[in-house]
Amino acid sequence: MDALTQLFHGFGAAILPMNLLFAAIGVLLGTAVGVLPGIGPALTVALLLPVTFQLDPGGSLIMFAGIYYGGMYGGSTTAILLNTPGEAASVVTALEGNRMARSGRGGPALATAALGSFVAALIATAGLAFLAPWLVKVAVRFGPWDYFGLMLIAFVTVSATFGSSPLRGLTSLALGLWLGLIGIDQLTGQTRLTFGVPNLFDGIEVTTLAVGLFAIGEALHVVSRHAFAPEKPIPIKGSVWMTRKDWGRSWKPWLRGAAIGFPIGALPAGGAEIPTFLSYTAERKLSRHPEEFGTGAIEGVAGPEAANNASAAGSLVPLLTLGLPTSATAAVMLAGFQQYNIQPGPLLFVQHADLVWALIASLFIANVMLLVLNLPLVGLWVQLLKIPMPWLYAGILVFATMGTIAANPSVVELLLLSGFGVLGFIMRRYDYPVAPVIVGLILGPMADSQLRRALQMSLGDPMVLFRHPGSAIMIVIAALALLAPFLFRGLAALRKEED
Amino acid sequence: MSFFTSRLAAACIAVAAMVSPAVGQDLELSIIAPAGAGGGWDAAARALQDAMVKSGNARSVQVQNVPGAGGTVGLAQFAQSARGSDDQLLVGGITMVGAILTNNSPVDLSSVTPLARLTGDPLVVVVPKASPDQTLADLTAAIKGDVANTIWAGGSAGGADHILAALITQAAGADPSKVNYVAYSGGGEALAAMLGGQVTAGISGYGEWQGQIESGDLRALAISYPEPIEGIAAQPLKAQGVDVELVNWRGVFAGPDIPDETKAALSTAIANTVKSPEWQEILKARGWTDYYAPADEFATFIASENERVGATLRAIGLAK
Amino acid sequence: MQPPARTGFHRPTLIIGVGLFALAAVTWFDARSMTIRANYGMGADAASYFVAAFLGVLGAGHLIAAMRPGIRADDTDWAGVGWVLLALVGLIGSIWMGAGFIIGSTLLFAFTARSFGRRALLADLLIGLALSTLIFLLFNKLLQLALPAGPLERLF
Repeated sequence: MDALTQLFHGFGAAILPMNLLFAAIGVLLGTAVGVLPGIGPALTVALLLPVTFQLDPGGSLIMFAGIYYGGMYGGSTTAILLNTPGEAASVVTALEGNRMARSGRGGPALATAALGSFVAALIATAGLAFLAPWLVKVAVRFGPWDYFGLMLIAFVTVSATFGSSPLRGLTSLALGLWLGLIGIDQLTGQTRLTFGVPNLFDGIEVTTLAVGLFAIGEALHVVSRHAFAPEKPIPIKGSVWMTRKDWGRSWKPWLRGAAIGFPIGALPAGGAEIPTFLSYTAERKLSRHPEEFGTGAIEGVAGPEAANNASAAGSLVPLLTLGLPTSATAAVMLAGFQQYNIQPGPLLFVQHADLVWALIASLFIANVMLLVLNLPLVGLWVQLLKIPMPWLYAGILVFATMGTIAANPSVVELLLLSGFGVLGFIMRRYDYPVAPVIVGLILGPMADSQLRRALQMSLGDPMVLFRHPGSAIMIVIAALALLAPFLFRGLAALRKEED
Repeated sequence: MSFFTSRLAAACIAVAAMVSPAVGQDLELSIIAPAGAGGGWDAAARALQDAMVKSGNARSVQVQNVPGAGGTVGLAQFAQSARGSDDQLLVGGITMVGAILTNNSPVDLSSVTPLARLTGDPLVVVVPKASPDQTLADLTAAIKGDVANTIWAGGSAGGADHILAALITQAAGADPSKVNYVAYSGGGEALAAMLGGQVTAGISGYGEWQGQIESGDLRALAISYPEPIEGIAAQPLKAQGVDVELVNWRGVFAGPDIPDETKAALSTAIANTVKSPEWQEILKARGWTDYYAPADEFATFIASENERVGATLRAIGLAK
Repeated sequence: MQPPARTGFHRPTLIIGVGLFALAAVTWFDARSMTIRANYGMGADAASYFVAAFLGVLGAGHLIAAMRPGIRADDTDWAGVGWVLLALVGLIGSIWMGAGFIIGSTLLFAFTARSFGRRALLADLLIGLALSTLIFLLFNKLLQLALPAGPLERLF
């Protein structure tokens, strides 16, 4: 097998002691910056990229791989411990992860996230090495109609995050869709709901919404209850390590997460968030303990975290084979490759085979390194919760706002961030679920532009959605999933509320 | 950056400049990239930062991202904070010219001081490998025959790609306001639509699709540059009887109302940087084409671009 | 805070319902004022009309739900919430007026700590100052990230 020999070749270069050191430094730096609340992987990689320029191409590439995986992993730590996801892809991780952390199970949550990331990244990196050329041919066949079908399926799965009341869940979702309208429409250049404020023209930044709703909204909520019922998080209850039962409940979600995350991540417009939603829904449906969802189910951390990391590796498929960045992180990585005179594209595997395989080998090594470094750190991270509440939340707010200031130092952005914080507080106060808002903001604009692209290509004929088998199948799946169980359950829940 | 601090900084730099008259080495600049990390202007600003420091034309350069509204948010902020300042630069380009018009931006490029045009990349017109259109003439005939079913893919609405599609449609003898242009978030996403055969033709920066053109997955019919470019097989539109040219240029600006000596010092530093081997090396690595023009020539150029882009945007119905 | 709404409407639900109607109306009018039309297929206004209709339906749902007893919000320490908001105002004001990142974050830290009932404002100001200075140095010097600069930042 040709790819295998070349991979071994790549390992030969990457395994030198000096390069292992670079990998370790990269992973450490990536985790350290990525772990700061409000600073997602894209910003982490952008900030640390210049550090790698000092080294020779081989060494810098390896350190770069370490930073990438370290930043990806770091993001989940704050999502779990402090309920402050630094990016949209960790929002789902925060749902169950933070519940676990509050009841003293932060250790196992972090461990299953680390191990799940490891397993998923391992599978996905192998997929990248062996399936990339084939996968990309399938992926570009995905037309706007197919994306629209995928969005519909994703919309249906959102109901899993609705909590107790469909009315309140749908309201949260509608709010997200509404926020998604704001800005210049990509297809026509028409502004929507910008009220003439230029800072709104580019739309609402998902990170700003996520950090505002979660980090600031959470701080406001906690402080509002603090005087009456201090809810001090418990750092550790029971074992800091995963029990045998935790292992048993985690390994299947890891594999399923990887299986969902990698292919969707490899789509040119798939994104990292959709697989996490799908994985969460799948785990909730398949779990033997569905009643634990919402109160800290380990499957709800293991699956989405694995999906998140697998899609991160999956996004390297279009990046390396087409030169097509599918996420902000990938766009920064593209700039990184260009610094080493590598132009990703169809000829990359031919022209720079040695560098590509060294990169893929580095990803494997960085992945192992990440596990080795971070599992012992789990105990340390959990200690974060021992910081006295006033300083803990003060620190969270400082870092959360800093992330926004670093990405876009404008007063309007900070006002939006604070406004979303107040919104998050009000929603928590009246028991509206927060996650669907973010889902709506991400999926709404995507569904809108993909549907309109499809209609533009068909000159306005809606049948285009059913003429293509892929989209037809997905739309039917979405319709079935929506109409059959959700409607009945929703009616039942409504009825229950009436009583 | 606030008025107060920029003034303070300006004063510091002014003192430093008085102490040592030598241009360049003592410059401590900040460049505003009016786009987020990873975008074209961000890359240009960071490349300029790198080249200016390494070639010794500035002691330190900081890049600040002010994203939003096709660069007009950064432009508006810059026009305010950099008034009379001798240490602040702004990177911009043709997309900003279009965005100013479509967004009705209150601040336009005439309110800042053009320093130099830096790079100018050709756009390329491609069709998928399996397309029946073998030559540019085939494509223009198809446009003329059925403008609605000639579907274009390219970057965002009102951007350089969209403008070129409209100009070609017009030159082919069809109504430019009827152009069926499907906008994507960038050349990358449009590329997938091209490879998937969902559209008729596509427009993007040549560098962005170079790999697919060389591998034969896309067929390049023409470039938008006025003259042929070494190393690019596709010939200019003009040479093939379609009288259209459009260059995706990027340039650098200083603040409004700066003294002549400041303008001279800054443009000299840029001119020296552009000549340096460090800058040439970056151009090569990034696949950018040198399109340098000094301050005065650049100012005239912007005026003519403004007129041309405006006329096209009005024809497509994106500007009034 | 809310008295159990045994009679009449459940106030918060009612207010949210009215708010949803207002949002729907704003969206509807915004969509009607759009001028750029799509040449083929649907225009940018289609999604706006859809969302407006969706919000309207949910607003109606809230009005119906408001006739039944709803959730009683928990007791709230409004002073604490006020301090956090003041902390955010401190940060945004500092950035706005050009006082810079360090002063802004110091205020944010100290006021947030105050909101949790700490009285040692001076000590918290000093901790906040140390923390934000450290962050500034780390990001500005090591990673070349331009955080908003004010008088303090200029010292480095």
